[in-house]
Amino acid sequence: MQPEMQPVADIQLPAAPAVKALACPACGGSVELRAAGYSVSVVCQYCSSILDVADPQVKLIAQYNQAAEALEIPLGSRGTLRGVEWEAIGYMQRSAYGGGAWDEYLLFNPYHGYRWLITDGRGWSLGEQLTVTPLRDDYETLRLGNQTYQRFYEDSTARVDYVLGEFYWRVAVGEEVVGADWARPGAMLSREKNAHEVSWTRSVLLTHKEMADAFGVRKGASWPPMPHQPSPNAAWLGMGFKIFAGMFLLLAVLILAFGGTSWTSAGRFPVAPDGSERTVTLGPIHFGHLYQRVEIRADVPTLENGWVDLDYSLVDRRTQQVYEAYGAAERYSGSDSDGPWTEGSRGSSVSVASVPAGDYDLVVDYKGNRWSSGSLYSPRYVGMPEDLGWMTPVNKPEVVVEVRTGALFLSSFWIALILLGLPLLIGLIRHIQFDKARQAESDFAPTGFAALGASEDDE
Amino acid sequence: MNPRTFLYGLWSLGVVALFVLSGIFAWSPFAEGGRARAHAGIYGPTHK
Repeated sequence: MQPEMQPVADIQLPAAPAVKALACPACGGSVELRAAGYSVSVVCQYCSSILDVADPQVKLIAQYNQAAEALEIPLGSRGTLRGVEWEAIGYMQRSAYGGGAWDEYLLFNPYHGYRWLITDGRGWSLGEQLTVTPLRDDYETLRLGNQTYQRFYEDSTARVDYVLGEFYWRVAVGEEVVGADWARPGAMLSREKNAHEVSWTRSVLLTHKEMADAFGVRKGASWPPMPHQPSPNAAWLGMGFKIFAGMFLLLAVLILAFGGTSWTSAGRFPVAPDGSERTVTLGPIHFGHLYQRVEIRADVPTLENGWVDLDYSLVDRRTQQVYEAYGAAERYSGSDSDGPWTEGSRGSSVSVASVPAGDYDLVVDYKGNRWSSGSLYSPRYVGMPEDLGWMTPVNKPEVVVEVRTGALFLSSFWIALILLGLPLLIGLIRHIQFDKARQAESDFAPTGFAALGASEDDE
Repeated sequence: MNPRTFLYGLWSLGVVALFVLSGIFAWSPFAEGGRARAHAGIYGPTHK
Protein backbone atom coordinates (compact mmCIF):
# COMPACT_ATOMS: atom_id res chain seq x y z
CA MET A 1 0.00 0.00 0.00
CA GLN A 2 1.39 3.27 -1.02
CA PRO A 3 1.57 6.06 1.54
CA GLU A 4 -0.79 8.91 0.94
CA MET A 5 0.91 11.69 -0.96
CA GLN A 6 0.95 15.01 0.81
CA PRO A 7 1.73 18.27 -0.97
CA VAL A 8 5.04 19.59 0.22
CA ALA A 9 4.08 23.17 -0.43
CA ASP A 10 1.58 25.11 -2.47
CA ILE A 11 2.74 25.92 -5.94
CA GLN A 12 3.53 29.62 -6.06
CA LEU A 13 3.03 31.38 -9.33
CA PRO A 14 5.02 34.56 -9.83
CA ALA A 15 3.00 37.57 -8.98
CA ALA A 16 1.63 39.55 -11.86
CA PRO A 17 3.33 42.92 -12.05
CA ALA A 18 1.21 45.72 -10.76
CA VAL A 19 0.54 48.81 -12.81
CA LYS A 20 3.06 51.42 -11.77
CA ALA A 21 2.57 55.13 -12.30
CA LEU A 22 5.43 57.49 -13.00
CA ALA A 23 5.71 61.12 -14.00
CA CYS A 24 6.92 62.00 -17.47
CA PRO A 25 10.10 64.10 -17.14
CA ALA A 26 9.15 65.99 -20.29
CA CYS A 27 5.53 67.01 -19.72
CA GLY A 28 4.83 65.88 -16.15
CA GLY A 29 1.99 63.67 -17.27
CA SER A 30 1.19 60.50 -15.35
CA VAL A 31 2.48 57.52 -17.34
CA GLU A 32 1.28 54.03 -16.47
CA LEU A 33 3.82 51.23 -16.59
CA ARG A 34 1.86 48.03 -17.15
CA ALA A 35 4.74 45.55 -17.31
CA ALA A 36 6.90 47.09 -14.63
CA GLY A 37 10.08 45.12 -14.21
CA TYR A 38 9.89 43.80 -17.78
CA SER A 39 9.64 46.93 -19.88
CA VAL A 40 12.77 48.87 -20.79
CA SER A 41 11.19 51.92 -22.41
CA VAL A 42 7.83 53.58 -22.36
CA VAL A 43 6.36 56.28 -24.53
CA CYS A 44 4.37 58.99 -22.80
CA GLN A 45 0.81 58.97 -24.06
CA TYR A 46 0.58 62.76 -23.61
CA CYS A 47 3.69 64.08 -25.33
CA SER A 48 5.09 60.96 -27.05
CA SER A 49 8.46 61.37 -25.33
CA ILE A 50 10.36 58.14 -24.93
CA LEU A 51 11.34 57.31 -21.34
CA ASP A 52 13.92 54.85 -20.09
CA VAL A 53 12.32 52.82 -17.30
CA ALA A 54 15.02 50.18 -16.92
CA ASP A 55 16.37 52.09 -13.91
CA PRO A 56 14.31 53.38 -10.99
CA GLN A 57 15.34 56.85 -12.08
CA VAL A 58 13.19 57.44 -15.14
CA LYS A 59 15.28 59.07 -17.85
CA LEU A 60 14.20 60.91 -20.92
CA ILE A 61 15.49 59.18 -24.09
CA ALA A 62 13.83 61.40 -26.66
CA GLN A 63 11.50 64.29 -26.21
CA TYR A 64 8.57 64.89 -28.54
CA ASN A 65 5.81 67.36 -28.24
CA GLN A 66 3.06 65.73 -30.14
CA ALA A 67 -0.28 64.36 -29.14
CA ALA A 68 -0.78 60.64 -29.05
CA GLU A 69 -2.77 59.12 -31.87
CA ALA A 70 -6.10 57.54 -31.13
CA LEU A 71 -5.45 53.82 -31.40
CA GLU A 72 -7.83 51.17 -32.62
CA ILE A 73 -6.86 49.16 -29.55
CA PRO A 74 -6.27 51.61 -26.67
CA LEU A 75 -3.21 50.72 -24.63
CA GLY A 76 -4.24 49.00 -21.45
CA SER A 77 -7.03 47.09 -23.20
CA ARG A 78 -7.27 43.43 -22.33
CA GLY A 79 -8.57 40.68 -24.53
CA THR A 80 -8.47 36.89 -24.61
CA LEU A 81 -6.98 35.28 -27.69
CA ARG A 82 -6.92 31.51 -27.97
CA GLY A 83 -7.35 31.01 -24.24
CA VAL A 84 -4.82 33.56 -22.98
CA GLU A 85 -5.66 37.02 -21.71
CA TRP A 86 -3.38 39.69 -23.13
CA GLU A 87 -2.95 43.34 -22.36
CA ALA A 88 -1.96 45.79 -25.07
CA ILE A 89 1.01 47.73 -23.67
CA GLY A 90 2.78 49.15 -26.72
CA TYR A 91 2.05 50.32 -30.23
CA MET A 92 4.29 50.88 -33.23
CA GLN A 93 3.50 52.02 -36.72
CA ARG A 94 6.04 50.80 -39.23
CA SER A 95 6.47 51.09 -42.94
CA ALA A 96 8.67 49.59 -45.59
CA TYR A 97 10.60 51.69 -48.08
CA GLY A 98 8.59 51.60 -51.24
CA GLY A 99 5.83 49.64 -49.52
CA GLY A 100 2.87 50.09 -47.26
CA ALA A 101 2.57 50.76 -43.54
CA TRP A 102 1.29 48.48 -40.84
CA ASP A 103 0.51 48.59 -37.12
CA GLU A 104 2.01 46.43 -34.42
CA TYR A 105 0.64 46.18 -30.90
CA LEU A 106 2.78 44.66 -28.19
CA LEU A 107 0.75 42.33 -25.98
CA PHE A 108 1.85 41.22 -22.56
CA ASN A 109 0.86 38.48 -20.17
CA PRO A 110 3.07 37.92 -17.11
CA TYR A 111 2.83 34.12 -17.49
CA HIS A 112 3.12 33.90 -21.28
CA GLY A 113 5.41 36.81 -22.11
CA TYR A 114 5.05 39.00 -25.15
CA ARG A 115 3.14 38.65 -28.38
CA TRP A 116 2.50 40.95 -31.31
CA LEU A 117 -0.80 41.90 -32.85
CA ILE A 118 -0.09 42.93 -36.42
CA THR A 119 -2.46 44.49 -38.93
CA ASP A 120 -2.23 46.31 -42.22
CA GLY A 121 -5.91 47.20 -42.16
CA ARG A 122 -7.13 43.98 -43.78
CA GLY A 123 -6.85 41.51 -40.94
CA TRP A 124 -5.01 40.71 -37.73
CA SER A 125 -2.21 38.29 -36.98
CA LEU A 126 -0.85 37.12 -33.65
CA GLY A 127 2.94 37.02 -33.76
CA GLU A 128 5.28 35.14 -31.46
CA GLN A 129 9.02 35.53 -31.51
CA LEU A 130 10.72 32.21 -32.19
CA THR A 131 13.48 30.68 -30.13
CA VAL A 132 14.56 28.45 -33.03
CA THR A 133 15.70 29.30 -36.52
CA PRO A 134 13.56 27.84 -39.33
CA LEU A 135 15.27 25.33 -41.58
CA ARG A 136 15.85 26.18 -45.21
CA ASP A 137 14.47 23.57 -47.64
CA ASP A 138 15.55 25.57 -50.67
CA TYR A 139 15.90 29.19 -51.70
CA GLU A 140 12.14 29.63 -51.84
CA THR A 141 11.07 27.45 -48.94
CA LEU A 142 11.55 27.48 -45.18
CA ARG A 143 10.47 24.73 -42.84
CA LEU A 144 9.29 25.16 -39.28
CA GLY A 145 8.17 21.91 -37.65
CA ASN A 146 6.31 20.03 -40.34
CA GLN A 147 5.08 23.15 -42.12
CA THR A 148 6.69 24.81 -45.10
CA TYR A 149 6.59 28.52 -45.94
CA GLN A 150 7.07 30.06 -49.38
CA ARG A 151 9.13 33.20 -49.80
CA PHE A 152 6.88 36.21 -50.24
CA TYR A 153 8.64 39.51 -49.53
CA GLU A 154 12.32 39.91 -50.21
CA ASP A 155 14.66 41.84 -47.92
CA SER A 156 13.50 45.40 -47.44
CA THR A 157 14.07 48.07 -44.82
CA ALA A 158 11.27 48.65 -42.34
CA ARG A 159 11.22 51.84 -40.32
CA VAL A 160 9.41 52.77 -37.11
CA ASP A 161 7.22 55.77 -37.92
CA TYR A 162 5.34 56.15 -34.67
CA VAL A 163 5.56 54.57 -31.26
CA LEU A 164 3.48 54.65 -28.11
CA GLY A 165 3.44 52.69 -24.83
CA GLU A 166 6.09 50.47 -23.36
CA PHE A 167 8.49 47.97 -24.88
CA TYR A 168 11.12 45.49 -23.83
CA TRP A 169 13.79 47.35 -25.75
CA ARG A 170 14.63 50.98 -26.32
CA VAL A 171 12.51 51.64 -29.33
CA ALA A 172 12.61 54.97 -31.13
CA VAL A 173 11.04 56.53 -34.17
CA GLY A 174 13.35 56.02 -37.11
CA GLU A 175 14.63 52.66 -35.91
CA GLU A 176 15.25 50.44 -38.90
CA VAL A 177 15.49 46.72 -39.49
CA VAL A 178 15.79 44.65 -42.66
CA GLY A 179 12.82 42.35 -42.91
CA ALA A 180 11.81 39.47 -45.15
CA ASP A 181 8.72 37.28 -45.08
CA TRP A 182 7.65 33.76 -45.97
CA ALA A 183 3.99 32.77 -46.11
CA ARG A 184 1.73 29.75 -46.04
CA PRO A 185 -2.05 29.65 -45.73
CA GLY A 186 -2.85 30.97 -42.28
CA ALA A 187 0.67 31.86 -41.10
CA MET A 188 3.78 33.90 -41.89
CA LEU A 189 7.41 33.72 -40.93
CA SER A 190 9.18 37.06 -40.63
CA ARG A 191 12.87 37.62 -40.28
CA GLU A 192 14.14 40.93 -38.96
CA LYS A 193 17.80 41.74 -38.71
CA ASN A 194 19.88 44.71 -37.75
CA ALA A 195 23.54 45.18 -36.98
CA HIS A 196 23.24 43.31 -33.68
CA GLU A 197 20.78 40.47 -34.06
CA VAL A 198 18.49 38.41 -36.25
CA SER A 199 15.04 37.57 -34.92
CA TRP A 200 12.33 35.32 -36.30
CA THR A 201 8.62 35.76 -35.69
CA ARG A 202 5.80 33.42 -36.61
CA SER A 203 2.43 35.12 -36.93
CA VAL A 204 -0.84 33.27 -37.31
CA LEU A 205 -3.86 34.81 -38.92
CA LEU A 206 -6.74 35.56 -36.55
CA THR A 207 -10.34 35.50 -37.62
CA HIS A 208 -12.35 38.67 -37.52
CA LYS A 209 -14.57 37.12 -34.86
CA GLU A 210 -11.60 36.34 -32.63
CA MET A 211 -10.45 39.95 -32.79
CA ALA A 212 -13.94 41.37 -32.43
CA ASP A 213 -14.53 39.22 -29.35
CA ALA A 214 -11.13 39.98 -27.84
CA PHE A 215 -10.64 43.66 -28.55
CA GLY A 216 -13.83 44.80 -30.28
CA VAL A 217 -12.07 45.88 -33.46
CA ARG A 218 -13.96 46.47 -36.69
CA LYS A 219 -13.64 44.30 -39.73
CA GLY A 220 -11.01 45.49 -42.17
CA ALA A 221 -10.93 45.51 -45.94
CA SER A 222 -11.29 42.04 -47.38
CA TRP A 223 -9.60 42.66 -50.74
CA PRO A 224 -6.93 42.19 -51.89
CA PRO A 225 -6.17 39.16 -49.72
CA MET A 226 -3.27 39.16 -47.28
CA PRO A 227 -0.13 37.16 -48.07
CA HIS A 228 -1.04 34.40 -45.62
CA GLN A 229 -4.81 34.53 -46.04
CA PRO A 230 -6.15 31.07 -46.90
CA SER A 231 -8.29 30.88 -50.01
CA PRO A 232 -11.91 30.38 -48.94
CA ASN A 233 -12.35 27.94 -51.82
CA ALA A 234 -9.20 25.90 -51.35
CA ALA A 235 -10.57 24.42 -48.13
CA TRP A 236 -13.50 22.70 -49.82
CA LEU A 237 -12.29 22.12 -53.38
CA GLY A 238 -10.19 19.07 -52.47
CA MET A 239 -13.08 17.33 -50.76
CA GLY A 240 -15.41 18.67 -53.46
CA PHE A 241 -13.51 16.85 -56.20
CA LYS A 242 -13.69 13.63 -54.16
CA ILE A 243 -17.45 14.08 -53.80
CA PHE A 244 -17.67 14.70 -57.57
CA ALA A 245 -15.77 11.48 -58.31
CA GLY A 246 -18.06 9.54 -55.94
CA MET A 247 -21.17 10.98 -57.52
CA PHE A 248 -19.85 10.22 -61.01
CA LEU A 249 -19.47 6.55 -60.04
CA LEU A 250 -22.93 6.59 -58.48
CA LEU A 251 -24.43 7.95 -61.71
CA ALA A 252 -22.65 5.23 -63.69
CA VAL A 253 -24.08 2.57 -61.39
CA LEU A 254 -27.56 4.12 -61.69
CA ILE A 255 -27.34 4.04 -65.48
CA LEU A 256 -26.68 0.32 -65.32
CA ALA A 257 -29.41 -0.15 -62.71
CA PHE A 258 -32.10 1.57 -64.78
CA GLY A 259 -31.21 -0.46 -67.87
CA GLY A 260 -33.61 -0.90 -70.84
CA THR A 261 -34.83 -3.34 -73.45
CA SER A 262 -33.30 -4.34 -76.78
CA TRP A 263 -34.75 -3.32 -80.14
CA THR A 264 -37.85 -5.25 -81.25
CA SER A 265 -39.41 -5.05 -84.67
CA ALA A 266 -42.69 -3.16 -84.81
CA GLY A 267 -43.32 -3.65 -88.52
CA ARG A 268 -42.36 -2.77 -92.09
CA PHE A 269 -44.48 -1.03 -94.70
CA PRO A 270 -44.03 0.18 -98.31
CA VAL A 271 -43.62 3.78 -99.44
CA ALA A 272 -46.10 4.99 -102.07
CA PRO A 273 -44.29 5.55 -105.41
CA ASP A 274 -46.45 8.57 -106.16
CA GLY A 275 -45.36 10.32 -102.98
CA SER A 276 -48.76 10.27 -101.32
CA GLU A 277 -49.08 10.23 -97.55
CA ARG A 278 -50.01 6.95 -95.92
CA THR A 279 -50.92 5.82 -92.44
CA VAL A 280 -50.13 2.52 -90.81
CA THR A 281 -51.00 1.27 -87.34
CA LEU A 282 -48.58 -1.06 -85.60
CA GLY A 283 -49.20 -2.93 -82.38
CA PRO A 284 -50.24 -3.56 -79.81
CA ILE A 285 -46.97 -2.78 -78.06
CA HIS A 286 -46.83 -3.46 -74.34
CA PHE A 287 -44.88 -1.22 -71.97
CA GLY A 288 -44.46 -2.70 -68.48
CA HIS A 289 -42.70 -0.07 -66.37
CA LEU A 290 -44.46 2.69 -64.48
CA TYR A 291 -42.95 5.20 -66.92
CA GLN A 292 -40.56 4.61 -69.78
CA ARG A 293 -38.65 6.30 -72.49
CA VAL A 294 -39.80 4.85 -75.83
CA GLU A 295 -37.31 4.97 -78.65
CA ILE A 296 -38.63 4.55 -82.19
CA ARG A 297 -36.15 3.81 -84.93
CA ALA A 298 -37.04 3.88 -88.62
CA ASP A 299 -34.82 2.60 -91.37
CA VAL A 300 -35.37 3.14 -95.10
CA PRO A 301 -32.82 0.80 -96.70
CA THR A 302 -33.21 1.98 -100.31
CA LEU A 303 -33.46 5.70 -99.62
CA GLU A 304 -31.31 7.82 -101.94
CA ASN A 305 -31.69 11.48 -102.84
CA GLY A 306 -34.92 11.87 -100.95
CA TRP A 307 -36.51 11.93 -97.57
CA VAL A 308 -39.31 10.30 -95.64
CA ASP A 309 -41.49 12.24 -93.20
CA LEU A 310 -42.49 10.16 -90.21
CA ASP A 311 -45.19 11.29 -87.78
CA TYR A 312 -45.51 8.92 -84.85
CA SER A 313 -48.44 8.72 -82.48
CA LEU A 314 -48.34 6.33 -79.55
CA VAL A 315 -51.97 5.78 -78.54
CA ASP A 316 -52.83 4.20 -75.22
CA ARG A 317 -55.54 1.68 -75.97
CA ARG A 318 -57.14 2.12 -72.57
CA THR A 319 -57.05 5.89 -72.12
CA GLN A 320 -56.62 6.99 -75.76
CA GLN A 321 -53.85 9.27 -74.51
CA VAL A 322 -51.57 10.19 -77.41
CA TYR A 323 -47.79 10.72 -77.32
CA GLU A 324 -46.42 12.28 -80.47
CA ALA A 325 -43.05 12.52 -82.08
CA TYR A 326 -41.72 13.49 -85.45
CA GLY A 327 -38.87 11.98 -87.36
CA ALA A 328 -37.41 12.16 -90.84
CA ALA A 329 -34.90 10.07 -92.72
CA GLU A 330 -32.92 12.04 -95.27
CA ARG A 331 -30.23 10.79 -97.57
CA TYR A 332 -28.58 12.64 -100.44
CA SER A 333 -25.62 11.96 -102.67
CA GLY A 334 -24.02 13.43 -105.73
CA SER A 335 -20.82 14.32 -107.37
CA ASP A 336 -19.08 17.59 -107.98
CA SER A 337 -15.63 18.89 -108.79
CA ASP A 338 -14.32 17.51 -105.48
CA GLY A 339 -15.70 14.07 -106.22
CA PRO A 340 -18.64 12.09 -104.88
CA TRP A 341 -20.40 13.15 -101.72
CA THR A 342 -23.14 11.87 -99.42
CA GLU A 343 -25.17 13.55 -96.76
CA GLY A 344 -27.76 12.49 -94.20
CA SER A 345 -28.83 9.06 -93.05
CA ARG A 346 -31.24 6.38 -94.15
CA GLY A 347 -32.28 5.94 -90.53
CA SER A 348 -34.12 8.09 -88.03
CA SER A 349 -34.44 7.71 -84.27
CA VAL A 350 -36.69 9.63 -81.90
CA SER A 351 -37.48 9.27 -78.21
CA VAL A 352 -40.77 9.80 -76.43
CA ALA A 353 -40.46 10.68 -72.74
CA SER A 354 -42.54 9.59 -69.76
CA VAL A 355 -44.80 7.06 -71.46
CA PRO A 356 -46.90 5.30 -68.79
CA ALA A 357 -47.33 1.54 -68.67
CA GLY A 358 -49.99 0.02 -70.90
CA ASP A 359 -50.79 -1.39 -74.34
CA TYR A 360 -50.21 1.04 -77.18
CA ASP A 361 -50.80 1.35 -80.89
CA LEU A 362 -48.07 3.01 -82.86
CA VAL A 363 -49.71 5.05 -85.63
CA VAL A 364 -47.24 6.18 -88.30
CA ASP A 365 -48.14 8.84 -90.87
CA TYR A 366 -45.42 8.77 -93.47
CA LYS A 367 -44.69 10.19 -96.86
CA GLY A 368 -41.85 9.56 -99.26
CA ASN A 369 -40.21 12.42 -101.15
CA ARG A 370 -37.54 12.62 -103.77
CA TRP A 371 -34.98 15.27 -104.49
CA SER A 372 -33.36 15.98 -107.81
CA SER A 373 -30.30 18.12 -108.05
CA GLY A 374 -31.45 19.36 -111.50
CA SER A 375 -35.08 19.98 -110.62
CA LEU A 376 -34.64 23.72 -110.29
CA TYR A 377 -32.73 24.27 -113.51
CA SER A 378 -33.95 21.46 -115.75
CA PRO A 379 -37.71 21.81 -116.20
CA ARG A 380 -39.57 18.69 -117.23
CA TYR A 381 -41.12 18.97 -120.65
CA VAL A 382 -44.58 17.72 -121.62
CA GLY A 383 -44.52 14.05 -122.49
CA MET A 384 -41.29 13.46 -120.66
CA PRO A 385 -41.58 10.40 -118.26
CA GLU A 386 -41.56 11.30 -114.55
CA ASP A 387 -38.40 10.37 -112.69
CA LEU A 388 -39.52 8.38 -109.62
CA GLY A 389 -36.02 8.34 -108.21
CA TRP A 390 -35.56 6.06 -105.20
CA MET A 391 -39.33 5.51 -104.91
CA THR A 392 -39.60 3.47 -108.09
CA PRO A 393 -41.41 0.13 -107.41
CA VAL A 394 -38.41 -1.80 -108.69
CA ASN A 395 -36.42 -0.34 -105.81
CA LYS A 396 -39.01 -1.69 -103.28
CA PRO A 397 -39.08 1.43 -101.12
CA GLU A 398 -40.12 0.54 -97.58
CA VAL A 399 -39.79 1.68 -94.00
CA VAL A 400 -38.73 -0.66 -91.19
CA VAL A 401 -39.74 0.44 -87.69
CA GLU A 402 -38.25 -0.85 -84.44
CA VAL A 403 -39.05 0.05 -80.86
CA ARG A 404 -37.24 -0.27 -77.57
CA THR A 405 -37.80 1.11 -74.06
CA GLY A 406 -35.54 2.48 -71.40
CA ALA A 407 -35.57 4.91 -68.51
CA LEU A 408 -32.68 7.31 -68.83
CA PHE A 409 -31.75 9.82 -71.46
CA LEU A 410 -28.07 10.43 -72.08
CA SER A 411 -28.83 14.15 -71.90
CA SER A 412 -29.90 13.70 -68.25
CA PHE A 413 -26.51 12.20 -67.49
CA TRP A 414 -24.69 15.13 -69.10
CA ILE A 415 -26.95 17.65 -67.35
CA ALA A 416 -26.24 15.95 -64.02
CA LEU A 417 -22.50 16.04 -64.70
CA ILE A 418 -22.65 19.74 -65.61
CA LEU A 419 -24.65 20.55 -62.46
CA LEU A 420 -22.20 18.56 -60.33
CA GLY A 421 -19.18 20.17 -61.94
CA LEU A 422 -20.43 23.75 -62.10
CA PRO A 423 -19.84 24.65 -58.40
CA LEU A 424 -16.37 23.11 -58.62
CA LEU A 425 -15.59 25.10 -61.74
CA ILE A 426 -16.81 28.34 -60.15
CA GLY A 427 -14.88 27.54 -56.97
CA LEU A 428 -11.72 26.77 -58.94
CA ILE A 429 -11.97 29.99 -60.95
CA ARG A 430 -12.51 32.01 -57.77
CA HIS A 431 -9.65 30.21 -56.07
CA ILE A 432 -7.33 31.06 -58.97
CA GLN A 433 -8.49 34.69 -58.89
CA PHE A 434 -7.91 34.80 -55.14
CA ASP A 435 -4.45 33.27 -55.36
CA LYS A 436 -3.44 35.58 -58.20
CA ALA A 437 -4.54 38.60 -56.14
CA ARG A 438 -2.81 37.21 -53.03
CA GLN A 439 0.47 36.59 -54.80
CA ALA A 440 0.31 39.86 -56.74
CA GLU A 441 1.91 41.54 -53.70
CA SER A 442 4.76 39.09 -53.62
CA ASP A 443 8.24 40.07 -54.71
CA PHE A 444 8.65 36.65 -56.28
CA ALA A 445 7.19 34.83 -59.27
CA PRO A 446 3.73 33.38 -58.68
CA THR A 447 3.47 29.71 -57.86
CA GLY A 448 0.72 27.11 -58.06
CA PHE A 449 -2.56 28.08 -59.72
CA ALA A 450 -1.54 31.74 -59.62
CA ALA A 451 1.22 30.93 -62.11
CA LEU A 452 -1.39 29.85 -64.69
CA GLY A 453 -1.52 32.32 -67.52
CA ALA A 454 1.44 34.32 -66.23
CA SER A 455 3.38 35.54 -69.23
CA GLU A 456 7.14 35.77 -69.43
CA ASP A 457 6.77 39.54 -69.23
CA ASP A 458 5.17 39.15 -65.81
CA GLU A 459 8.18 37.24 -64.66
CA MET B 1 -16.65 20.07 -41.89
CA ASN B 2 -16.21 23.12 -44.06
CA PRO B 3 -19.64 24.73 -44.65
CA ARG B 4 -18.96 24.94 -48.40
CA THR B 5 -18.10 21.24 -48.50
CA PHE B 6 -21.34 20.50 -46.70
CA LEU B 7 -23.33 22.69 -49.10
CA TYR B 8 -21.67 21.08 -52.11
CA GLY B 9 -22.45 17.64 -50.68
CA LEU B 10 -26.09 18.65 -50.30
CA TRP B 11 -26.10 20.07 -53.85
CA SER B 12 -24.62 16.84 -55.20
CA LEU B 13 -27.21 14.73 -53.42
CA GLY B 14 -29.92 16.95 -54.87
CA VAL B 15 -28.54 16.57 -58.38
CA VAL B 16 -28.33 12.79 -58.05
CA ALA B 17 -31.85 12.72 -56.60
CA LEU B 18 -33.12 14.65 -59.65
CA PHE B 19 -31.23 12.25 -61.89
CA VAL B 20 -32.93 9.30 -60.19
CA LEU B 21 -36.31 11.01 -60.53
CA SER B 22 -35.66 11.65 -64.22
CA GLY B 23 -34.99 7.92 -64.53
CA ILE B 24 -38.06 6.87 -62.60
CA PHE B 25 -40.29 9.10 -64.73
CA ALA B 26 -38.17 8.57 -67.88
CA TRP B 27 -38.17 12.31 -68.42
CA SER B 28 -35.81 14.59 -70.27
CA PRO B 29 -36.11 18.20 -71.41
CA PHE B 30 -34.57 17.14 -74.71
CA ALA B 31 -36.95 14.31 -75.59
CA GLU B 32 -38.41 14.60 -79.09
CA GLY B 33 -41.65 12.96 -78.12
CA GLY B 34 -44.46 14.75 -76.36
CA ARG B 35 -43.73 18.00 -78.07
CA ALA B 36 -45.26 18.33 -81.53
CA ARG B 37 -42.33 19.84 -83.35
CA ALA B 38 -42.76 21.01 -86.87
CA HIS B 39 -40.04 20.23 -89.37
CA ALA B 40 -37.82 23.09 -90.41
CA GLY B 41 -39.73 23.27 -93.70
CA ILE B 42 -36.85 23.28 -96.15
CA TYR B 43 -35.75 19.98 -97.58
CA GLY B 44 -32.68 19.20 -99.53
CA PRO B 45 -29.01 18.77 -98.88
CA THR B 46 -27.02 21.59 -97.33
CA HIS B 47 -23.95 20.31 -99.08
CA LYS B 48 -21.98 23.41 -100.14
